[in-house]
Amino acid sequence: MQNHDEIPVESESESTAFNVEYEAVDDWSNYKDSDVMQQQSAIFEQDAAKFPFVGDKEPLSSLEAEYKSGSPILLEKIKVLSEKYGAIRRTRGDGNCFFRSFMFSYLEHILESQDHAEVERVKANVEKCRKTLQDLGYADFTFEDFFSLFIEQLESVLQGNEDSISHDELVARSRDQCVSDYVVMFFRFVTSGEIKKRSEFFEPFILGLSNTTVEQFCKTSVEPMGEESDHVHITALCDALGVPIRVVYLDRSSCDKDGGVSVNHHDFVPTPADGATASTSETGPEPNPFIVLLYRPGHYDILYKK
Amino acid sequence: MQASRARLFKEYKEVQREKVADPDIQLVCDDSNIFKWTALIKGPSETPYEGGVFQLAFSVPEQYPLQPPQVRFLTKIFHPNVHFKTGEICLDILKNAWSPAWTLQSVCRAIIALMAHPEPDSPLNCDSGNLLRSGDVRGFQSMAKMYTRLAAMPKKG
Repeated sequence: MQNHDEIPVESESESTAFNVEYEAVDDWSNYKDSDVMQQQSAIFEQDAAKFPFVGDKEPLSSLEAEYKSGSPILLEKIKVLSEKYGAIRRTRGDGNCFFRSFMFSYLEHILESQDHAEVERVKANVEKCRKTLQDLGYADFTFEDFFSLFIEQLESVLQGNEDSISHDELVARSRDQCVSDYVVMFFRFVTSGEIKKRSEFFEPFILGLSNTTVEQFCKTSVEPMGEESDHVHITALCDALGVPIRVVYLDRSSCDKDGGVSVNHHDFVPTPADGATASTSETGPEPNPFIVLLYRPGHYDILYKK
Repeated sequence: MQASRARLFKEYKEVQREKVADPDIQLVCDDSNIFKWTALIKGPSETPYEGGVFQLAFSVPEQYPLQPPQVRFLTKIFHPNVHFKTGEICLDILKNAWSPAWTLQSVCRAIIALMAHPEPDSPLNCDSGNLLRSGDVRGFQSMAKMYTRLAAMPKKG
């Protein structure tokens, strides 16, 4: 404010600033949906640089560190968790975390157990899923690429073949969008097919969750990438593939059992394909799912038993 | 890139097969670029678009079918969910509700359905949306019909 001569200069620069802004505003009228989508995918790419689809295995203490100055209930619960579970593997929070966690957890289990019988069993169920989609009127070419990519991964984690892969390669593939997203999409197809096939069973749950029809729910909340999963998705995927899933809940609810803090979990146990009555009565052996996911409101990660 | 090419090639074969089954849609791939397509769709009957033939331009991204194709009207159309200047279409399956279960052909079908059932509550063309929202169906239909005649019908010699 020392020199009056500067004022016109200032106002000039202001007016250019105004022009720039005006141009930006003018641009808004030409700002198309595709621009919005491009911007959105750019943001996703930025996030991607920050965290891979599937992270490294970390000791459970890293979870504790996250809540260091947080809720005491959570810290207490993490302590309880650490009695049973030793490690965590985080997944990216992109709306696909449940499917991505399931993918990695399942393939890693097969890689480590070399359970050929399980692979054959799941392959048979995948064939049933294919049939389900065909019966529902899906054109083969819309889903077959996703199916074959999953089968390819499944076969490659079995050792002793030319195409067998190591654990490191499994991690690398799970971080490679071309593989990872295709497998996630495969699960989305399978889940959608199962829900539609047993729509009378799923309808009340879907009504409770989103107040839409089964068809609409599958169209907007199951099949599109990036749509988050809920108990309906988990139930359907678990039933379709016949793979039990344990979900451990970590939230601030204090579920006191005799004064102590406990961490509750829910086991999703596949209902026998023919028993469409779907009564989850304890018929089989006690469930001990090898897939354990940690659920914190809005996100799933993978847990490892000790 | 390879995956999208393979998928589009399958769609191309499917389109050849479906030509007879779906006489309202004529989907054509660019001679030199499988990522560029155009479609001619017939305006649905009992709508102001009846009798018109509308051209759509498809631009398919490399991430297809994980990402949706970009589609716009090349033919001018007066419709609440189509941008009057750019031809951009507001349709959920082309945005956040896209899934690989859709195909270029079924997208065309969805666009025809949108022509018959406009959603005036999410308008890209506000003038058109406002006519419907205020209950002036006759006003909307005569405008839409006029543009169909002007832009989507062969000129009479």
